[in-house]
Parts: sequence; C-alpha cells; structure tokens
Amino acid sequence: MENDYKKEAGRQYLRYFRIWFAAIAILAAVCAGLGAVRSKGKDIERTNMEAPEERVYDYADVLTEEEEEKLREHIGKAERRLGVDIVVVTINYSVEGQDAKERYGLRYTNWEWNMQDIADDFWDQNRFGYDKGFEGNGILLLHNWYTGQNGEHISTSGSVERAFSASDINRVLDAVDRYYDTDPYRAYRAYVDKAEELLEGSGLSIPWPVVVFLPVFVAVVYAVSHLSQSKAQNTTAVNAYVAGGKPEFRDKTDMFLRKSVVTRKIQTSSGSSGGGGHSGGGGHHRSSSGASHGGGSRRH
Amino acid sequence: MYFRCKNCGGNTVYSPERHGMYCPHCGTEDSGQRTESGSGELTVCPNCGGEVPVQIHTSATQCPYCDSYLILNERVEGRYAPQMMIPFQVGKEACKQSIREKFRRCLFAPTDFLSEVRLDSMQGIYVPYWFYDYDAACDFQGEGTKVRVWSSGDKQYTETSFYSIRRSMDINFEKIPVDASEQMPDDVMDLIAPFNYTQMGDFSPEYMSGFYGEKYNMDSGVVENRARQLMNEDALKLLRESYAGYSTVKTIHQDMRVRDSRATYGLLPIWKYVYRYKEQEYPFYVNGQTGKIVGTAPVSAGKVWAYAGTLWASLTAVMVLVRILLGLL
Repeated sequence: MENDYKKEAGRQYLRYFRIWFAAIAILAAVCAGLGAVRSKGKDIERTNMEAPEERVYDYADVLTEEEEEKLREHIGKAERRLGVDIVVVTINYSVEGQDAKERYGLRYTNWEWNMQDIADDFWDQNRFGYDKGFEGNGILLLHNWYTGQNGEHISTSGSVERAFSASDINRVLDAVDRYYDTDPYRAYRAYVDKAEELLEGSGLSIPWPVVVFLPVFVAVVYAVSHLSQSKAQNTTAVNAYVAGGKPEFRDKTDMFLRKSVVTRKIQTSSGSSGGGGHSGGGGHHRSSSGASHGGGSRRH
Repeated sequence: MYFRCKNCGGNTVYSPERHGMYCPHCGTEDSGQRTESGSGELTVCPNCGGEVPVQIHTSATQCPYCDSYLILNERVEGRYAPQMMIPFQVGKEACKQSIREKFRRCLFAPTDFLSEVRLDSMQGIYVPYWFYDYDAACDFQGEGTKVRVWSSGDKQYTETSFYSIRRSMDINFEKIPVDASEQMPDDVMDLIAPFNYTQMGDFSPEYMSGFYGEKYNMDSGVVENRARQLMNEDALKLLRESYAGYSTVKTIHQDMRVRDSRATYGLLPIWKYVYRYKEQEYPFYVNGQTGKIVGTAPVSAGKVWAYAGTLWASLTAVMVLVRILLGLL
C-alpha cells in the first residue's frame, strides 16, 4: 500500500513536470542539431590579399610575446568563421591637446576625434577587410594606454559597420573594460569573443543575471504560494440568518440638502521635452581617405 | 440505549445514503429496535456488557469491544434533550471522496495523506449548537454625498451634492448557530457554516446511531456574544447596502436594539478527520450536510524541495538552452 502511494507520487511528479521536461529535451535537441550543423560549416574564403597578416599591433607593449601569439591564433579562427578582419592596436602616446597635434601631426586637439582618426586611418592604410581592401568587412580595437588618456576606440567597416548598433559597440567596450586594467590579454580576448558573439548570434540574448536569479525567484514564489493555504472561504451569505432574506424598512428617506460646485482650471503641458542624447558608438562617418566607418570611443 | 436489528440482532445504524436505519450485518432496512441498558450504568455497553470509555460530554459513542453504537440516555434527554437536529446527509464514502477531490491537487501533502486507511478513521459527530433568534430594530441617520465631475473648455467642475439619509429597519434573525462544544474550534465551526435549515427536524436518537455525539458543554449565555456579534455585523452590512450609492457617508446617529431573543439547543452533523504528521495533528472538518471542507493539509518538506528544486532546475535549463539557441541563430 505504502509503495503504491510512492509510485502514485512519482507518477504525479512526472505528470506535473512533463511539459518542462519535454521542452528541455526539444530545446537540447535543437541546440545540438544546430551546433553540429554550425561546426561542420566550412571556413569563409578570404578574398582580400592586400592587407598584412599581422592582427596584433602591441605598440604599447602591454602583452607578452606568448600572449600575442595566442591572441593571433584566436583571432585567426574567429576571422575564418565570420569572414571579417579583427585587429587589435595598442598605443601609448598623447592624442589630446595642441602639443600632441603638432608633435604627431594629428588633425584635432580632441581626444575622441583623434582616436577615431587614428583607428580609421590605421584600417584604411593597411587595407584591412576580409573581402576587400577598401570598406571591407572587419573591426578594429584601438587602445591608448597613455597615462591620463587611457581609453579605447572601436572602428567598424563593411558588414560589421552595418551590423553593429550603438549598443553593440558599447557591449564590446564593456567586455574590454571588465578586464583591461587587470589583464590586457583577457580584455582583448573578450573583445574578440564579444564581437564574434554579436556577429554570429541573432543579437538577442538573455543576460546571465536573469538566467541565474529569475529561476530562484520563481521557485521561491512557487514554494511560498503552495505553502500558504486557507482553511476555507467564508461562504455564509450576509442575509443567511435573516428572516425573509432581507430587513423590513420602516423609514428609508434620502433628502437633498445642498450642493457645492468647485471649478478648477485644467493645466495643459506645452512645449516639448527632449534631451541631448548621447550618440555614442555605431555612429557612421567618413575617414580622411573617404572610407565609411562606424564605431565609438570610451575614455577611462 | 442502542438499536438492535429485529432480524439478526446486530446493531442498526442510520445511513445518510439511504436516509433511514439499516442493519450493516444483514442489510435489512428499518429493522432497528430501541434497546435499553439492563444495568442502567452509563459506562457499561448494553449489548456486550463491556466497559465503555465515556468522556465527560459524550452523548453517543461506540463500544470498543462489540462495535455497537451507543446513545447515552441521560445526555440526550431532560435538560440535554436537543430540540432540533439535522441528520447526516453526506455519508463517509462521499465525504472521503470530497476530501480526495479537494486535496488531490495539494502537491506538497505527504504521500499517504489521502490513503484509504487514514481516511477510514474519519468520525461522524453530532456537534451541540445553540441557535439564536433575534427580533431587532436599527435606526440610522447620516449625511451622504454624491460627487459629479465634468469638464468644459479649459475648466473642470466638481459638483458635490449633500443628502440627509434616514433608515429605520426591523430585522429578524433566525437560528444563528454557535457551537456549544469546548473541543470544537470556534473559527472552524464558523467557517463550516452555512447549514440548510430546510432539513432541520425534531431530534430523534435513531439519527445518532452510527455516529458520535456530544451534549452541550457551554451554556447559551456563555457563547451568545458570538451570535450577537454576527447579528450586529450582518445588520450593519445590510444597512450599508441600503445607502450604497453615495460617494461618502458620515454617520450622525446609529442605534441597534434587540427587542426579543431566544436560544434553542440542537445538533448539527460534522465529519472529523485527524491526520497525524511529524507528531502534529492536522484536523479536518466536513459539513455533514453540505460536504463543505475546513482544514489545511500538512506540508511535506521533502516534496516542497523536490518540486521547487525541479522547477528551478527546469527553468534554469530552459533559459540556458534558449540563450545558447539565440547565440546559434
């Protein structure tokens, strides 16, 4: 008898969660299938032969030789899968102010404009781009390590420029900023991974904090709601014990006494609100050589 | 007293399903014959002569030796004679079925909570009640407002009309039930109502055969405050309903008077099921007339963890897989 109840409880449990288990099985199968198809996909053939093979230009010398090599390898795999050039450039000199403008032949005194100029020109002059040497597909990270001017600029071109929104640029910069001050190699690897994730994926994603905390919240609410039960509802009608179901009124008078009217002017809102939006990354522009680029900067 | 079958000599009982007496031994209907105890002693079974444990307020019980249902004469007669009662309308099997239906979806109840063996221990009890009749009158005077708001052009108008409200009503309450048992929890007895009084009839000891029972153990004056409180609450609710159309009502004068009152003693049928889980008792009460259930099921911590944990794991798995899928698309 006891075993029968245990079996019944087991059946009840499986019946209750059958839709969840089925959904997990179907999702896992779809993921496995798609993953297999993707892993069998052939590398995209490179058509631009004008660009150099180097992808890691560590002028600021923040990476070790070994780290540079590992990064090159990592970039190479991602490039072949995505069909885009991925470049990392580090510098360590002032790009702000009149002095810097004169010393390095910059066009501006502004940090952000100069960072954009340097990144775009580096791309154009090296004729980067997986498919072609002008406005070809790719992305470049320029990181300035100069004291007091530390920050990055992302320059995008071709298909990446078209694909990346301002928030995508910010996500890539967020990925770099998470590690740049503790582990530059990890930061640049994160840049490659995030760019790959955004280019490969649908652009839609569930943030990890949601994945971690939402199920906990739902499970707790579920448990609490099932733990609290009321003994029963009070179902006795208010007139259940009243003879005839209702009272007998001897007097039921409603007499009008007076009236008062209050008038108020309706306030109408006029004018328009608006804020100076910050148009950050993703902003399209033309470089000094006339090529179209997208991108955005962040200074620390 | 107890009821002996004229056909086979067995103990006849009242059957809610058959609405009459029958003998569970030979199946004969209406064969019960009232048989008095030879010794006249309260604690001696008139059928087998065994010693029957009788609580201080017990009016009907079962002999632990011969299983005969006994009705204690002196606790259903004289000053303890009920003036009315509702016989059981819901039998044990129907009652067990109702409990199973209600708690079937209670996922966290222990596995054996609804087992046949456990539910079989359910007892039908005739609970003593006082029924109060009140002839009451209520007078009310107040000031009510009705508010109307409209706009015209760039102006908004708010018109407030004031009214004098007068109400005088006679209200008669019949049979407000209050249990007269110290053992029965008051909140449960309030929730188990209402009873349908159309099936209320004169007391007859035959109805008690097959069930347990108690005589009243609290006088009508002791528990009347509960009836008065219910009367006041219901009368005021009905009064408020009569001026429900006002936006606000300010009370100027309110008076409630009871012109006449009466208390009558009677019995109402209630099934009781006590489930013991982890050294704690979980009592359930079922209205023996309507089948309404009052009680909460115990919670098995193991089941809570299993279900909430599975939900957490399933939801996490789904979200991780969806995340992976979005990355692959």
